[in-house]
Amino acid sequence: MTGRVCRGCGGTDIELDAARGDAVCTACGSVLEDNIIVSEVQFVESSGGGSSAVGQFVSLDGRRHIHHLGNQLQLNQHCLDTAFNFFKMAVSRHLTRGRKTAHVIAACLYLVCRTEGTPHMLLDLSDLLQVNVYVLGKTFLLLARELCINAPAIDPCLYIPRFAHLLEFGEKNHEVSMTALRLLQRMKRDWMHTGRRPSGLCGAALLVAARMHDFRRTVKEVISVVKVCESTLRKRLTEFEDTPTSQLTIDEFMKIDLEEECDPPSYTAGQRKLRMKQLEQVLSKKLEEVEGEISSYQDAIEIELENSRPKAKGGLASLAKDGSAEDTASSLCGEEDTEDEELEAAASHLNKDLYRELLAATPGSSEAAGSPQWSGRPPALESLLDPLPTAASLGISDSIRECISSQSSDPKDASGDGELDLSGIDDLEIDRYILNESEARVKAELWMRENAEYLREQREKEARIAKEKELGIYKEHKPKKSCKRREPIQASTAREAIEKMLEQKKISSKINYSVLRGLSSAGGGSPLREDARPEHSGSARKLSRRRTPASTSAADAVTSMGKRLRPLVSTQPAKKAATGEGLLPSSPALGAEPARPQAVLVESGPVSYHADEEAEEEEPDEEDGELCVSALQMMGGNDYGCDVDEDDGY
Amino acid sequence: MDADSDVALDILITNVVCVFRTRCHLNLRKIALEGANVIYKRDVGKVLMKLRKPRITATIWSSGKIICTGATSEEEAKFGARRLARSLQKLGFQVIFTDFKVVNVLAVCNMPFEIRLPEFTKNNRPHASYEPELHPAVCYRIKSLRATLQIFSTGSITVTGPNVKAVATAVEQIYPFVFEITT
Repeated sequence: MTGRVCRGCGGTDIELDAARGDAVCTACGSVLEDNIIVSEVQFVESSGGGSSAVGQFVSLDGRRHIHHLGNQLQLNQHCLDTAFNFFKMAVSRHLTRGRKTAHVIAACLYLVCRTEGTPHMLLDLSDLLQVNVYVLGKTFLLLARELCINAPAIDPCLYIPRFAHLLEFGEKNHEVSMTALRLLQRMKRDWMHTGRRPSGLCGAALLVAARMHDFRRTVKEVISVVKVCESTLRKRLTEFEDTPTSQLTIDEFMKIDLEEECDPPSYTAGQRKLRMKQLEQVLSKKLEEVEGEISSYQDAIEIELENSRPKAKGGLASLAKDGSAEDTASSLCGEEDTEDEELEAAASHLNKDLYRELLAATPGSSEAAGSPQWSGRPPALESLLDPLPTAASLGISDSIRECISSQSSDPKDASGDGELDLSGIDDLEIDRYILNESEARVKAELWMRENAEYLREQREKEARIAKEKELGIYKEHKPKKSCKRREPIQASTAREAIEKMLEQKKISSKINYSVLRGLSSAGGGSPLREDARPEHSGSARKLSRRRTPASTSAADAVTSMGKRLRPLVSTQPAKKAATGEGLLPSSPALGAEPARPQAVLVESGPVSYHADEEAEEEEPDEEDGELCVSALQMMGGNDYGCDVDEDDGY
Repeated sequence: MDADSDVALDILITNVVCVFRTRCHLNLRKIALEGANVIYKRDVGKVLMKLRKPRITATIWSSGKIICTGATSEEEAKFGARRLARSLQKLGFQVIFTDFKVVNVLAVCNMPFEIRLPEFTKNNRPHASYEPELHPAVCYRIKSLRATLQIFSTGSITVTGPNVKAVATAVEQIYPFVFEITT
C-alpha cells in the first residue's frame, strides 16, 4: 500500500498496523518501523454533526530524519526524543514554513547537543548535511530565540576528550587531556578565548599538550581532527607564545599558576595600531616643522645672495617685472640645487614648467607667459618668492589669480525646480557626469563586450521561447512559490476529469475506483474532493519534480509550497499508510481559511464515507470563493463545460 | 559618572542608507549609456551610479525607486539624493523628488575597556545572543528602538538603527550593561 521497499527481502508488500504503530514486511516479517504514531490526533464533534480534527500534524518522516541524523552523531535515545520534541514545537509555531526540513531538524539536534553538553559542533552537522555552516547557524539562532531556549555557551573543555580520543594518545590519553585542560583554562584567563572558535583553541591546547608529553603530533594531524585552518592554529600558538605563561617550563606550568592576566590579542593588536598611528602623526608634524625651518633658511640665504649680486643687469631692470622674474628664476635655479631636495620634490613638476617658460621665452613674451602661469603655481614657490624684492609683480599676479579662480568657482544654482530643491547643487559638476555622444558610444561598446555572455543567453532564451510558441508546446515556467496552475483537462463530468487526471499522473493505486464510481452518482460532493485531491497532488508532483529529490515527501509536505500540498502525505507514495491520522491537518494550528481547503482534501480509503459525507456538507459552505462556486455548481448540475474552466482558474 | 563618559564617547557614523522615489519610469539603458560613472547590471535590472561629491552609491531601478548608500550623515544623504535626482533630470527624465526616507544608519563606537562576552550574554539573556562558532561578537537587539548592536571583546561596538537618534540612544542604553562586565 505504501510502496516502500523492505530492507530485508526487497518486497514491496508492507503492512502498516495503526494500532501498534508498526510497519511490517509481509514477505519476510522484518519490522521496518515502530512508533509510527507520534502525535495524537483526535476527532471532535462540532455542532451540525460534522467532525473536525484536532491535534498536531507532524510529518512522520521528520522522526525518521531525526533518528537517522542522530544515529550518525551517536546521540542517545533521550537526546533524540528531546530533539523530536523541539521539532514538534517548531512545527506548531510554524517555524518550519519556508525552511528546509533538513535545516530545522539539524537545528533541533544541535540545540539538544548544546543543552546536554555533548561535544558536537555545528560544523559536524553541516558536514553531514553538506550545508553552509552559517545557514545552519541562522536557523539555529532563530529556533533558539523562538523557543525561548537559552543554549549554554560552548566551553572548549567539552571538546577535549573527543579530540584527544581521535588523536590516539593511547595510554596517556588521560594525562594529555588534563594538561590540555589546564592550558585551556590558562588561555581563558589570558583572554584568548573570547570571540574565537572553541575548536581552534582546543587544537592549539592539544598540540602543546601532546608535545609536552613527547607525542609528535604534527599540525596537519591536529587540523584534520579539529577542523580549523592551519593559519588559525599557528595564530593561536603565537598568541599563546606571547603570554607570560609560555615562558614557564613544563613542570612549572603544572604547579604554578601565574597571577596576572593578559589582554585579548585583538585588543593588543588594536592598541599597537593606535600607537603606530600616533607615532606617524607625531613624525609628520615634525616633518612640517623641519620643512618650515628649511624654507626660512632658504629665504635668508637668497636674500644674502641678492644683496651680494652685482647690479649688472641694468638693461633688463627697466622691465621690472620681467627682470625680477628672470632673476628669481635664475637665483632659484642656483639655490634650489644646493638647498634641500624635499621642497623641490614637492613642487618639481610645476617648477620645471615655470623655469622653462621664464628662461626660454623672450623678455616681452615671458611676461604674458608668466602671469597666467602664476595661477597654476604651487604655494611652495610663492612662499619662496614672496620675501624677495618682487613684491609688486607678485601683488599684481595675485590679484590676477584671484580673478581667474573666482570665474571658475561653482555657481550656486538656487533655481527651484518644482519639488526638487537645488540649493547647493553644483550643476557644472553634475554635467560632468553626463557623457557626450562619442563617449556614450564607446561605453556602449565596452558594456556589450563585457556582458556578451549574458546577452547571448537572453537571445537564445527568447529564440527558444519563440520556437516553442510556434510548436504550441510553450510552457511558461515562472518561478513561483506555490503552483496554482493546472493543465487544462477537458472533460464533461467530474468522473471523466478524475480518470484523465489519474491516467496522466498515475496514482491510481491510491484510489478505490469502485467507491469512486459509486460516489459520483451521489451528487458529486466527494468527486470534488477526490478530484481536487489528485489535482493538487498532480500540481505538487510538478513542483516536486522541480525540487531536489533529496527531501522526502514529508519535506515536501512540511515546507510551504502551498497549503494544499499538505495532504500529499497521503496521496504520494508515502511510506506510512497511517493516513487517517496523519492526514487531517491541525485546523487550529493553521487557521480558518487554509484549513478548509485542506480539510476538503483529506479523506482517503480507510476513512468511512459517512464521515466524508458529513464532512462534505460542512465544507462547501466554508470553502473559499472559487471552490464554493464550483462545488455548488457541481452539486446542482452535472454539466462540466464551464466548471472546468473555473477549476483551472484557480 | 556614566553620563559624562557617554558624552566623551565618540560615535562615528560610517554609513547612512536612504531611499526615495522619482515617480516616473526610468530608462535604465539610457542612464547606463549616458552616465559617466554608472554600472549597468542588466541581469538584476538595476543601475549603480556613484557620485563623488558626497561619496555615495545609488542603486536605480526602472520603476523609479532609488536607494542611496555611503553617506556619512543624514544631511549628506539628502544632499546626495538631491544631486542624484538633479543629474537624472539633466538626462531628460521628469523627476520628482518624493518619499525621501532614511532607512538605516550604521555607526561605530569604541569603549576604552574590554568586555567579557560570555558573562555579558548570560546577564542579558533574551536580548543578547553569542555564537562563537559563527561570529566573534555578541549580537544585542533592542526591540523598542529597532536597533542591533554588535559588541566585540575589544570594546568596539557596531550599531545599526533606523536613524541617528536611535543609534545614539542605543549606545547610551548599552553603556551601563557593558560597563559592569569589564575586566
